[in-house]
Amino acid sequence: MNSFELSDEWLIERFKEGDDTAFDQLVRRYEQKVFQHAYRLTHNIDDAADVAAEAFLRMYTALKRFRGEAQLSTWLYRIVQNVYFDFHKREQRHQHLPLEISSDDDEEPMELPIPDESFDMDEYLLEQERQRVLREAIDKLPDYQRVVTILFHVEQLSYEEIAAATGLPLGTIKSRLNRARAALRELLEPYRELFEIESRPTQTEATDALRTGQSTAE
Amino acid sequence: MRCEQVKALLNDYLEGALSPAVVPSLEAHLSVCDSCRGEWQFRRGIWHSLSQMPAPPAPADLHARIMTHVRAQARTRAVSQRGLVWRFVGAAAAAAALFLLGFFSARPGGVMAGFQLFSSASKSEPAVQLPVESGIRLEWRDVGEGERVPVLRAALNREASAMLAWSPEPSLPPRQAQRIWQGTLQPGKAVEIPLPLLHQKQTARSVITLWWTVDDQHRAFFVPAGYPPSARASLRLRANLSEVLALLAETYQTPIEWLPTSHETNPLVVLDVRDATLQESLQQLLIGTRYTARAEKGHWRILPR
Repeated sequence: MNSFELSDEWLIERFKEGDDTAFDQLVRRYEQKVFQHAYRLTHNIDDAADVAAEAFLRMYTALKRFRGEAQLSTWLYRIVQNVYFDFHKREQRHQHLPLEISSDDDEEPMELPIPDESFDMDEYLLEQERQRVLREAIDKLPDYQRVVTILFHVEQLSYEEIAAATGLPLGTIKSRLNRARAALRELLEPYRELFEIESRPTQTEATDALRTGQSTAE
Repeated sequence: MRCEQVKALLNDYLEGALSPAVVPSLEAHLSVCDSCRGEWQFRRGIWHSLSQMPAPPAPADLHARIMTHVRAQARTRAVSQRGLVWRFVGAAAAAAALFLLGFFSARPGGVMAGFQLFSSASKSEPAVQLPVESGIRLEWRDVGEGERVPVLRAALNREASAMLAWSPEPSLPPRQAQRIWQGTLQPGKAVEIPLPLLHQKQTARSVITLWWTVDDQHRAFFVPAGYPPSARASLRLRANLSEVLALLAETYQTPIEWLPTSHETNPLVVLDVRDATLQESLQQLLIGTRYTARAEKGHWRILPR
């Protein structure tokens, strides 16, 4: 077995020539990413796995026509969203979404990664709580707002990448994102104290994740 | 700058997209206005938590779920007919014949020429016509003085053409294997093939395979060469399923019988296991394929789900 990475393009070419193992390799390469994106949209492990499986099936049937205008990963984001929308539409005909933020969780609470050094239990628990209310707030966003929010803030894609992944014009993405931010802000207003903290211990590292670059100039 | 202006610019500021000309006056305002600073900190906290949003690790069977789904669905859309492997096993098989091959006599020690084939007829096999029942197993028979000789015993309830082949390396494709015997297995008659070759330490990597065909259904029985069995192994390879199974038989010193489906005769598979038992390796190997593994008496059987 070679340990070097074969390029996506090469694997796609191999696949087009009929080598199914190339497809298997592409799946292995992207399945975690696809699953996690699907999970962030569905917040359910089983649903996310179903979305991922269907997304790869669509990739399988469409890959022969893939011309490489976009990165494969970006294209996959797009497929995941389409599958998610399809699944979600089907679901919504049968059930209503809860209107209130509930405090009891059916699912196991998600464990945050515990940092090695300077571990702060209080901060850890606070972040758990933040993630809980955040998740529920995100679930209340309309689908089209949720997708851009997750692509920008969670998956950290650029506007251009989001445009490629959604097929939307930049202006639409920005306006949806701003509406989503405003909605999130309103939904999280009751938890303001949880988020509004003078100095976060992780503030300096957070700047990268925040992609601000300027906001630290206090 | 007024509070409304500042609040309207906060998202751009957090994004780092604010014009550098505006930043100083906005920051000046934030340093004196508690309300705006609070708003900035609130939004920054939301953004930060968004960027930290966790996702669980994918379930262990994710790859299997994906590949099963893809294979099942893609097949209904595209009928891809692949050529059948092992045609050479089939119709052309001559009457039972015994080939004593050069490698036997060429073995160091020169004691291996005693290879022979004999039928012990009238074993009472159940007279079932369908499905095909194969009773193929490897037995170690005592031949005295603490010596044991492996005997391959094959009994079918149907007539089948068969070929016994020897391969110096398990990963060698079947067509490169040396043919030891080719003939017909008769229903209800057990064929016993002593395989003293397997006793040789020097041939620890070689594998003997019995290929047989009945009603266009192909099967393979991989017989490992060495002894005694090893319990765990680490393997990392990509090859056709038949080759991987032969290698597994060799590695774990356990015979493996394989019943290929007619759709997907010999798919390419990937195996990557560490310190795994045969059962774990098979499970890992067969993820996403149409096959499942079943433990039989003394060997494993790989059959379609």
